[in-house]
Amino acid sequence: MATLPDEIRAAMQGVVPSHVVTCAADGTPNASAISQVYYVDADHVALSHQFFNKTKRNIEENPQAAVWLIHPETFETWDLELVFDHSETSGPIFDVMNMQIEAIASMVGMKGIFKLRAADVFRVVSVTKTSGERIPLSQIPRADR
Amino acid sequence: MSRDDADSSGLREELARNQETIDRLNRDLAKRTSEIRIIQQISTEITSTLDLREVLEIVLGAMERVLGFRHSMLLLAEPAGDALVVAATRGYAQPEANARVRIGDGVIGVVAERRTLMRVGNVGVSLRYLQAIRTRMQAAGQAPAGDDLVALPGLPDVQSQLALPLLVKDRLVGVLVVESPKSNAFDELDEVLLRIVGNQAATAIDNARTYEMVDRLGRLKRFFSPHLAELIIRGGADDPLKTHRREVTVVFLDLRGFTAFAETAEPEEVMGVLREYHAEMGQMILAHEGTLERFTGDGMMIFFNDPLPVPDAGLRAARMAVEMQERVSTLTVKWRRLGYGLGLGIGIAKGFATIGGIGFEGRWDYGAIGTVTNLAARLCGEAKAGEILVSARVAAELEDLGETEELAPLTLKGFARPVAALRLVGLKSPP
Amino acid sequence: MIPDRVMELLTGPSFLQIGTRDENLRPAHTYAVGAIVHDDRRTVTVLVPSARAARILPHLEANGRIALGIAQASHEAYQLKGTFLATRPTDADDRARQEAYRRALLADALQAGFPEEIARPLTQGFAYTPSIAITFRADEVFLQTPGPGAGSRLSSSGER
Repeated sequence: MATLPDEIRAAMQGVVPSHVVTCAADGTPNASAISQVYYVDADHVALSHQFFNKTKRNIEENPQAAVWLIHPETFETWDLELVFDHSETSGPIFDVMNMQIEAIASMVGMKGIFKLRAADVFRVVSVTKTSGERIPLSQIPRADR
Repeated sequence: MSRDDADSSGLREELARNQETIDRLNRDLAKRTSEIRIIQQISTEITSTLDLREVLEIVLGAMERVLGFRHSMLLLAEPAGDALVVAATRGYAQPEANARVRIGDGVIGVVAERRTLMRVGNVGVSLRYLQAIRTRMQAAGQAPAGDDLVALPGLPDVQSQLALPLLVKDRLVGVLVVESPKSNAFDELDEVLLRIVGNQAATAIDNARTYEMVDRLGRLKRFFSPHLAELIIRGGADDPLKTHRREVTVVFLDLRGFTAFAETAEPEEVMGVLREYHAEMGQMILAHEGTLERFTGDGMMIFFNDPLPVPDAGLRAARMAVEMQERVSTLTVKWRRLGYGLGLGIGIAKGFATIGGIGFEGRWDYGAIGTVTNLAARLCGEAKAGEILVSARVAAELEDLGETEELAPLTLKGFARPVAALRLVGLKSPP
Repeated sequence: MIPDRVMELLTGPSFLQIGTRDENLRPAHTYAVGAIVHDDRRTVTVLVPSARAARILPHLEANGRIALGIAQASHEAYQLKGTFLATRPTDADDRARQEAYRRALLADALQAGFPEEIARPLTQGFAYTPSIAITFRADEVFLQTPGPGAGSRLSSSGER
């Protein structure tokens, strides 16, 4: 088991989308964007489950997942390897995620229509801060628009 | 590696680790100390006043000066309980005084509903995501049409919000909010700081509101029954001091022979009679839930249907008047034995009056002005001891319940034409 | 086989994510910058930064399974699933294509409402050279835009 460093928490605020890859029992991978990976504790993260989808179906067949996180300020990235642990439909993790979803949904008149069905909790198997793929911000030219 | 080398490198590692620990502890201690200083500073200022507006100013001022939050809002829970209202803001171009947030709407509304702190760093991003989903769900008939955003007070393009419910015991006093136009602007430390301020603020605000309420209650109790005063405070009846027009039933009473009595009797005797009279009349006003607008010596004006609307104002007025006459007749027997010739005259009229606060800062009185008050006063003036005179409208309202005798139309000062009036002899019990 | 709209997005620009898996069905992720759809409208070449390609090449060579997520800043998204065919080194044309891709991605992100301080690093801040070209045959196309219909397979006319 690996622990999540403090600095990764900013990447788990849903400011920049994250990506998750799962794999069905028949070996077909699935790449999907997710709006937010939620920090549960140093060894666990949670994904919100609203609509039933291929990611969820794959996890049921094969609990392993790969997640790619991007820090919204430094744009450093991390690769996480996860294993599905359990799903929650109540409790502190669910409540925190649910409140956020409810707050935003209520602002667009979607309260009760768009809602959290479950919080899927994963154990963190490995955390790798990737390197060599970032262009320093100072080197990015400003656009001439 | 020789044993010495191994030892010394191990020792170095250990020292390095210890230094890290020491550094961390020092940082924690510094944080603790400054936290305590913050609490002390805010605490002293907040508890120095019971004025609600001052408390709010101090809280939001502290948020900015001491904690560096540039945009903050304080919302208070409405007594009715289904919304919050913006009571103070800091750092907003357009102060949104009196903007309302329904419980359950947005971050503020959900915090109020769930009574838990909430921190969101991606409001704009999330809104766009949900709007995209909404559009698709609408196209599939799975969501109602419409593309509005609920109007909420705060920064127009807010990205980060941190909101804390203000609780005293288990009551929601309000919500404290800080906002930022930048994503992910707040962290765990900000949560801690907000909680510290929030706790201080909750108690101070609650105390200030209670004080304000008690003060108002005291003032209102001069005019209204305690029950009614409380109803007004809690928002169950309209604010009586705001000028408004209402159709009211007005009862005027005074003691026949009082002037002569006051001129000849000893002051102590006069006060004694007045005290007894007021006590008895007062009890009946309270019992019938009338509003005592004024009393001057032996004269009193009472009206019904304001500030608390009632469906049977005329009947209440009549019942009260009849009871008053019965009570006074007992008193007058006693007063006659003491040598005082006193009797109660009552006039009742119904009509529209302009009602509201009359006076000035520091001395507000509750007053009613209109033809109806003049009419009731004149009818009272015409009434002999033991008589109740009512206007035609009042008699009409009483219908069969009122036992009345018609009088010749009265010529009254201030009324161009003679006025129809009836003598109310008694009330039948309703079937 | 690949619907018009998906072709449009592949030609540019889109955020591209690749999913693969190892012999234990352990998934892996990488991103790509730039894509080419071949004339047969089935074969797709994605340009993957070599730093990231190293993770997935062994998977592709071992089992050939590949998933390509194609997304707009507006959340419109699709997914191709298919079979790995070959790799080749990238050339000047590929690099030009990648640079055009990146410029268009920035405009797209700003248009969709991302603030400058995020749009710029997000679209310009990831290394893309040197890259390796990975070619695969698309066997299935899926709608991936969040909301109703997400996950449904699309025919070549783009219908579900």
